[in-house]
Amino acid sequence: MIVRWIAALVAFLVVAGVGLVAFGNFSTGIDPGSFFDSEGANSFALILAVALVLAFFVYAVVEYLQTGSFASISRQFDTRTIVLMPLAIAFNIILGQAVGAALKIPIYLDSIGTILVGALAGPIPGALTGFLSNILWTYVVPPPFNSGIAAAFAVVAAVIGILAGLFGRAGWLRPRPDRPMRDLFAGGVVALAVVGFLAYYAYTRFYGTTFEFFNPDNTDLLFSLLGWLILLLFVAFVVGFIGLLFVRRDLTVAYVVIAGVITGSVAALISAPIAANVFSGVTGAGTDFLVAAFRQAGSDIQTATLQQGLLSDPVDKMVTFFTVYLILNAMARRTKARFPQGERLLDDGDDEVLDDLETPPSPQGAPA
Amino acid sequence: MAAVAVGGFVGPLLLVALGVVLPAVLAGVIGQLARLTLLLSLPIAISAVLVNVFFFPGGETVLLRLGPITATAEGLVFALEILVRILAISGAITLFYLTTRPAELVVDLERRGVSPRVAFVASASVQTVPAMVERAGQITAAQRARGLDTEGSAWRRVRGIVPIVGPVILGAIGEVEERTMALEARGFTRPGRRTLLWWPPDSAWERVLRWAVALAVPVLIVARVAGWLTWLP
Amino acid sequence: MLTLEAVSYRYAGARRAALRDVDLELRDGEVLGIVGASEAGKTTLALVASGLAPRAIGGTLRGVVRIDGRDVAAAPMHEMAAQVAIGFQNPATQLSGVTETVFEEVAFGPMNLAVPRNEVIGRTWDALASLRIEPLAERHPARLSGGQQQLVAIAGLLALRPRHLVLDEPTAQLDPAGTDLVAEALSHLSARGASICVTEQKTDLLAGLATRVAVIDAGAIAFSGPADEVLADPRLADLGVAAPSAVRLYRVADAAGLSPVARDRLTAALAEELDVR
Repeated sequence: MIVRWIAALVAFLVVAGVGLVAFGNFSTGIDPGSFFDSEGANSFALILAVALVLAFFVYAVVEYLQTGSFASISRQFDTRTIVLMPLAIAFNIILGQAVGAALKIPIYLDSIGTILVGALAGPIPGALTGFLSNILWTYVVPPPFNSGIAAAFAVVAAVIGILAGLFGRAGWLRPRPDRPMRDLFAGGVVALAVVGFLAYYAYTRFYGTTFEFFNPDNTDLLFSLLGWLILLLFVAFVVGFIGLLFVRRDLTVAYVVIAGVITGSVAALISAPIAANVFSGVTGAGTDFLVAAFRQAGSDIQTATLQQGLLSDPVDKMVTFFTVYLILNAMARRTKARFPQGERLLDDGDDEVLDDLETPPSPQGAPA
Repeated sequence: MAAVAVGGFVGPLLLVALGVVLPAVLAGVIGQLARLTLLLSLPIAISAVLVNVFFFPGGETVLLRLGPITATAEGLVFALEILVRILAISGAITLFYLTTRPAELVVDLERRGVSPRVAFVASASVQTVPAMVERAGQITAAQRARGLDTEGSAWRRVRGIVPIVGPVILGAIGEVEERTMALEARGFTRPGRRTLLWWPPDSAWERVLRWAVALAVPVLIVARVAGWLTWLP
Repeated sequence: MLTLEAVSYRYAGARRAALRDVDLELRDGEVLGIVGASEAGKTTLALVASGLAPRAIGGTLRGVVRIDGRDVAAAPMHEMAAQVAIGFQNPATQLSGVTETVFEEVAFGPMNLAVPRNEVIGRTWDALASLRIEPLAERHPARLSGGQQQLVAIAGLLALRPRHLVLDEPTAQLDPAGTDLVAEALSHLSARGASICVTEQKTDLLAGLATRVAVIDAGAIAFSGPADEVLADPRLADLGVAAPSAVRLYRVADAAGLSPVARDRLTAALAEELDVR
């Protein structure tokens, strides 16, 4: 057991080290403010993500060599999960393709299935769902549901699945209905503080140096419009969030928001170098105009894709986590409970209901 | 063609590396490939050209000025570079699925030791996508018959998505339980390999070619990282 | 022989037991019908008898399920699959969803059980032949009608060569023509020695097919016996089960005051005319 973890850790460090030495170039152009300005440093998160995925393979191989099976992993893959995964992959591909190609809005919605599987079954099925979604999307699914770029982002999708699995395991997506106002208020403040902090950090570190949304000297019409649009979105989000929290009185809304923002920020860090290095920031989706806008403002490709990601991804993952939470709420308790990680998605009151069960006849008491 | 099938599992970085080489190879390939490739890469290509021609930072040679945006020569050169890259990637992908049936690929992978469960997920996904699209189409038609607005303004369309996507997702999830039981009743949980009825043929020269391609990829990456390829335009 | 001895079962997370103290015997070569109102426990009984409950879906089981006298509590699901096959009412969810031809779909079960390749092919042709659907072999399973899919699903069970077949409302989603096809296939099978347990709300189907019928109510067996006796029992209506058309005709004629001879002639003639058993 420990050997597996050590082997995986060593693999992670070796791959990350080799990656950083081979591709990273930290000696030039590090901006102490953002830390992500140079091309080499920009790939930092990507290299770590690749190392993470490879470390998982090492873990699996060592377990196989030790025990001849993948028991600790396959426990997360019961038949129910195996049946859900193709559906989840289809949700990802169909919604992602529809949103990316048809709607031309700067979000993706291509990870609903990944996050659903992660929450219900665990980090590894979640990661596999994300990874396979993007691989199949590019290499196997025929047009019109084929995307030439998805496979490049398979690592990002895998990490999203891992995060969703961890949030599910931690019980973040458990319903918390009818909480007292005091709790709801506290939850709302905490969630807004996290979002606000990340927004402020992203703004000062990644946007502030290159352009000001409301700089009075800024004569660029595009940026004034963009600034207003973003401000409007933000206001709409805050209003919607508070409304949901207090109308539904469900404290989990706050958890969903934080989970979405964290997942989105991580996804942005990993996907930015891929978008920049492989596709030069152009993916044919609705996000392109954002990249273009940031480049117009003077950012290089690396920075522009990161800026775009930090804007699109947290919003996208927040919407996605929320959708998944709605789906989970619509599922029957019994159905949820049977997934490997399902019991962590049931609300607190359920345990008491279980204790009230009328016990079935005992073997001794049962008449023949 | 199995060489292409198995060789197709290359990562994004490799695709870029191959992107320098592949256009020449693909230049002589027939109409269907060209048409599909163009069709597939068109949206991203247009996007790439527009973004780079007009928003290339630091471009000095001004070609055209349209209000706040300017087209620069540097941007145009860069856009062309990216176009070639996109064509290479989508060309390789198009070639791959023009020559490979998903079912053959999955059977071949399973024969080579991929777990039957992973194989199941892969082939079920490929079949689920069109099935679910069909289902969404039926529900759309039904909702439209009930007077739901699927045309009109953007906001109306977004609102229209909910009654279509909702039933598709929840309906599919509702069937998970029955599918699970049906699979288990047919011995799906038995550990170990299962019997395969058929698999695609694999000739000696295909194997050689496959290894050659697989070896060429790391060589190219090393070459690129080491800077031996800088003489290429 | 498949027997349930004092079996009670409760779904995971449910408040109440779905089956209580059920004793049941499925003898070799017989067709046993299970009738009851919806939610009475028919499906649960099918799941328990086939081993899916509690293996695949959890829950708590008391009592013993035996195959040929052997307690199967410890046997894993894939071993049960070779002994007892189970079919459900919705044909779409029973197809594996990974095959491109009916032939592969029917072969899916034996392939999973790692039956040697030549035997898989032989079994598959046999299963297709016994339901007379060989012409469908090359078709795509998703492109068939509901009735054809149900036949393919049943063929997939037959290819497992189980000695016991449990079918949960196999004709629920079928039109009359499809129902006739399934009924015909099942009587062929039982004639060839398989033991079959069918849960049904359509008592007409059972009237011509079952040798014995058990009535289930609120998770317990209310009464059971030879098919013609049970299906003519007046208590059926109180338990939410409609009597077969022939029995209802008989009663209507009786109520109208026809003489016994006239009543018998009328019901026989009407049964002939309307093609009910």
